Amino acid sequence: MHLVRPRSTLARTSGLAATAALTVALAACSSTSSTSSTESTSASTSASAGTGAAASAGAAPVSNGAAQVAITLTGDDSGSCVLDSSTAPAGPVTFTVTNESATSITEVELLSDNRILGEKENLAPGLPPVTFTVTLGGGDYQVYCPGAGTEQVPFTVTGDSAPQASGGVSAVLAEGTTGYAAYVVGVVDGMVQAVSTLKEAIDAGDLDKAKADYALARPYYERIESDIEGFVMPGFEPTDPAGSLDYLIDMRASNLDEKVGWHGLHAIERDLFQRGSITDETKALAAELVTNVMTLDEVAKTLTYKPEDLANGAAGLLEEVQSGKITGEEEKYSHLDLVDFFGNVEGAEQAFAFLAPGLKQIDPELTEQVTNQFATVKALLDTYRDPSQAGGFQLYTDELKATAAPQLSKAVQALQEPLSKIAEKVATAN
Amino acid sequence: MKKPARASATGGPVVSRRGLLFGAAAAGGLAVGSVALAGCSSAADATGGTGSAPAAGRDIVDLSKSVAFYGDGPQAGIVTPPQRHTVFMTFDLTSSSATELQVLLARWSSAIAQLTQGKTIGQVEPSRDSAVPDDTGEAFGLEPASLTVTVGLGPNVFSEERGLAARRPALLRDLRALTADNLDPALTGGDLSVQACADDPQVAYHAVHDLARIAKETGVASTKWAVLGFGRASAGVGQETPRNLQGFKDGTRNITEPADLDAFVWVTDGPAWQHGGSFQVVRKIQMHMENWDTNPVGVQNAVIGRHKQSGAPLSGTDEFDTPDFTKTDDEGTPVIPPTSHLAMAAFENNGGRKILRRGYNYTDGINQYGFLDAGLLFVSYQNDPAAFEDLQAKMGASDALTEYISHIGSAVFFVPPAPAEGSYLAEGMFA
Repeated sequence: MHLVRPRSTLARTSGLAATAALTVALAACSSTSSTSSTESTSASTSASAGTGAAASAGAAPVSNGAAQVAITLTGDDSGSCVLDSSTAPAGPVTFTVTNESATSITEVELLSDNRILGEKENLAPGLPPVTFTVTLGGGDYQVYCPGAGTEQVPFTVTGDSAPQASGGVSAVLAEGTTGYAAYVVGVVDGMVQAVSTLKEAIDAGDLDKAKADYALARPYYERIESDIEGFVMPGFEPTDPAGSLDYLIDMRASNLDEKVGWHGLHAIERDLFQRGSITDETKALAAELVTNVMTLDEVAKTLTYKPEDLANGAAGLLEEVQSGKITGEEEKYSHLDLVDFFGNVEGAEQAFAFLAPGLKQIDPELTEQVTNQFATVKALLDTYRDPSQAGGFQLYTDELKATAAPQLSKAVQALQEPLSKIAEKVATAN
Repeated sequence: MKKPARASATGGPVVSRRGLLFGAAAAGGLAVGSVALAGCSSAADATGGTGSAPAAGRDIVDLSKSVAFYGDGPQAGIVTPPQRHTVFMTFDLTSSSATELQVLLARWSSAIAQLTQGKTIGQVEPSRDSAVPDDTGEAFGLEPASLTVTVGLGPNVFSEERGLAARRPALLRDLRALTADNLDPALTGGDLSVQACADDPQVAYHAVHDLARIAKETGVASTKWAVLGFGRASAGVGQETPRNLQGFKDGTRNITEPADLDAFVWVTDGPAWQHGGSFQVVRKIQMHMENWDTNPVGVQNAVIGRHKQSGAPLSGTDEFDTPDFTKTDDEGTPVIPPTSHLAMAAFENNGGRKILRRGYNYTDGINQYGFLDAGLLFVSYQNDPAAFEDLQAKMGASDALTEYISHIGSAVFFVPPAPAEGSYLAEGMFA
């Protein structure tokens, strides 16, 4: 269940150059498969577009207190992105984007040194024009139209440069990451308590209480298991399962390393729910679990996060839902998968919530969409609550799975797609 | 193994060498199969331009061909000569907003325009490491393969809460329950349909794959049911009649003449945005293969009403002989049994009514009972869904073939006409 988090290093100039090269290759490819006779329309009307991306010389007119710039997308030259003004005076600038006929372009961004200042998505021919307004200081900017023949159109703002943003979006996002780090520590603190209680029940040989305490201990880890990249015991290589707190706390039978053996919650789950007995081995597992969670508590306090770590972490938790919980593999013996499911969703929502104040400034529509999809998933999960069960949810039996899984997985899919877009936005925030 | 046919002094089909060779590489045995077919036929002519049929009797796969999405008539994928493969998927709307549906249809239209030209719908490998690829990439480098993507609107699109109730095409409604229906709810209905057809199955799958992502990304629709079809089971203009999985030619009497299409397929009245539209009926028809396969050929022929090998009606000798339903044998028994599939479906016996069929064979492997799980993805286009209902109601009750098949999936959609360039599917519906 190891999550590989993509490295968030930004590919800057070289990456964009690679994109341009790719586009050229595509264009070359399509021109050789030329038995098609369907592309004549755009070719015959492309005289005005020239390079496929252009801006006229004049400064943008100011109305309603903002400079007005029109960005027009057409299918000329297999996608062109044209600005009616190439410069504007410092201050608010409103960009109005119209996609007349560009099927290759679905979004437009305003960049400064590869940081996104404003953008519009879901552009398609025929839809009404959309606008976004940003306040710009003097300097050089780029209008980025991914998919256009020429993807970057220069845009210049004259006048005073903007004061260096001290309370900009990136500062708000940074604040969110600090809050999230504290949240993770708080969750692990709670987990120390929960596994200690579980150990007491096991030491007392009380099977029923141990089962209930197991259910109560589960959600903590599920809320933060996307952060396992940092869950390494001091002195161990990240690749060594013997030093992986994730391995030692949450490994399932299907993924064991023979040399390290089975430890942690799922080994205890097997004893309690499959074997139905508490042995000395179970007690040893519980004692070791408490020690490892306490170590995790120390490690968690040292971890720091970048905004994209939170976004990727939230996405990772949803992947966990889709790969382990929907299928019922996570809680093979106890069938507490919906408890874990809810834990994953809660953890993902928390990570998102810490990004939301910054994200809202970058992309309010996406923020709202993701907020609503979280609500939809949780409302659906609510229909499977059962207060009589330890953990508060119905047991995820084969019968329940047969009826519930498609609905649950689709609700999570509808959350995954928009949520997957957040990392790029927060990583490139100004 | 024969070499692919190409332009030759003997007047063979003129197709791009690259396309054919590429086809052989990408589709393996499939391209070889097409060449073998070509070898059997005698007619020879050059292939036509974009979207037109190969020469009569020829069945060449030229993966470099593309079919226009934008236009001023019906959507592509209805009278387009059937490609080799289909991926058909239905979607449920998850939003009650007409504006959001508008965004989805515009995004889909834009994407389909790209895909049908063999292009991506965005970056396969974005320049930023933190970006998620817009295009899933599995068709990168593949040719257009005559891809068509045909989009339909289900009855529930035109709801009060979406404010579209007044826009409902007059004849669009759920199909009525029909005799012998054995429908699985999981394979029935849907608010939107996507019929992707291409000569390369990977190209067809990629189209549906990426359109499904846009549906989720825009928050407007989720996947409902899907069928992967192969070996088209209906001929288009100039194509040899293909065979269904019962081994019989299917679609010999399919309609091709413009007058028939105008009379039976295209919607010509109502609001202008519906003109050139059509109603798409989709039925997943499971075949009870083992029972059929062990039938004597005489029984098989009598059930279908045709000779298995030639496809000729039992009253004639050539595939295209007009069936003579009055012809009797020495004992006065009709040569074409009145309960045969041919007799039941013939327009002569159905008040002259015709439908356009565009089906594919499908298989889902082996089912839970140990039987081959396969059959026909029946797709028909008509200007009134009742044309299908009346036909199927009658066949469900009396067709000798009914014993060997089960209709397990069903849906009906209004397929609006093609959008003009710069517009999108059903734009007029939102006006």
